Amino acid sequence: MEDVILAASSCDTSVEIICAPENVLELFKFKDALFSIGQFDFTRTVFLIFLAMAVAMAILYFGLRGNRIVPSKFGAAIESLVTFVKEEIAHGIIGPEGSKYTPYLLSVFMIVLVGNLFEVTPFINFPVTSSMALPAIIAVLTWVIFVFVGFSKNGISYLIDTIWPKSVPIGLRWLVGLIELVSVFLLRPVTLAVRLFANMVAGHLMLTLLLASGIIFFGDVADIGARSIIGLPWFVFGLGIFVFEIVVAVLQAYIITLLSAVYVQTSVHPEH
Amino acid sequence: MTLEAAEALKGALALVGYGLAAIGPGIGIGIVVGNAIQAMARQPEAAGMARTTMFLGIAFTEALALIGFVLFFIA
Repeated sequence: MEDVILAASSCDTSVEIICAPENVLELFKFKDALFSIGQFDFTRTVFLIFLAMAVAMAILYFGLRGNRIVPSKFGAAIESLVTFVKEEIAHGIIGPEGSKYTPYLLSVFMIVLVGNLFEVTPFINFPVTSSMALPAIIAVLTWVIFVFVGFSKNGISYLIDTIWPKSVPIGLRWLVGLIELVSVFLLRPVTLAVRLFANMVAGHLMLTLLLASGIIFFGDVADIGARSIIGLPWFVFGLGIFVFEIVVAVLQAYIITLLSAVYVQTSVHPEH
Repeated sequence: MTLEAAEALKGALALVGYGLAAIGPGIGIGIVVGNAIQAMARQPEAAGMARTTMFLGIAFTEALALIGFVLFFIA
């Protein structure tokens, strides 16, 4: 939280009615490196990505370890999470072949879920998925998987069916083919990454602006007196958004996994 | 026009552009969710399938608004 307050600390509470930082990028860039290896700075964002990975792995390890008949309460909760990804997403969308893709989908779901929930975790308050690196690499992996599966299942006809769709009248076929080519191979990964990224950026922005404004106005009560009441609606609104952001975090993890599964499914059964 | 005025105008234009970009997805998500609710009310046993498809539809519709949101910061 102190990073947030530092970012908006130049705010003049006796004139402004909301504390916005000079440049919103300040909220997403941690410049000071914790330590450096060569020219690579190990910043707070990098640390949080590793932390998200460790938390996701620890949850799965401690939830599912051992070969027990009656799982613990925590284990049962994690099992229901894994079953949800396996049954609802992998089998529900891709079909019986979905078992092959369950490990990938589960990894995406867990890392994105933990990364998103960092947004509302006290003392972390930074969704690692709001830096483009993580969504982009997930989108690229999904792209590689669905293109590879498409070509290995259908051969070259995967590409030909995309750019020369037989079900479209001949006059429009070239146009539909062009649109399909761009949308399948270019727009799909871009929108997959941008959707998650932009949702998390928007959430983080709203939370930091509202909650930091509230805190700064209350903190300046000695200087500005009754004017600090302006901070109250910002803080209350911020708490409302806080609850909403928990829902968004879980929903976006679900949606990116669901869409990854849908894209793989269109390669496994291209006729649908 | 001075450079500062041009900068200020650019910010205002980006705001208007984001507002315009939000109209279509707003209407679209309304239609998607409204029809999904209607489907669930008419056929409660198919609610699970309708819900999954609804989220898919929302995700595809929402992408346009989010691209507008990103462009607002890039501009």
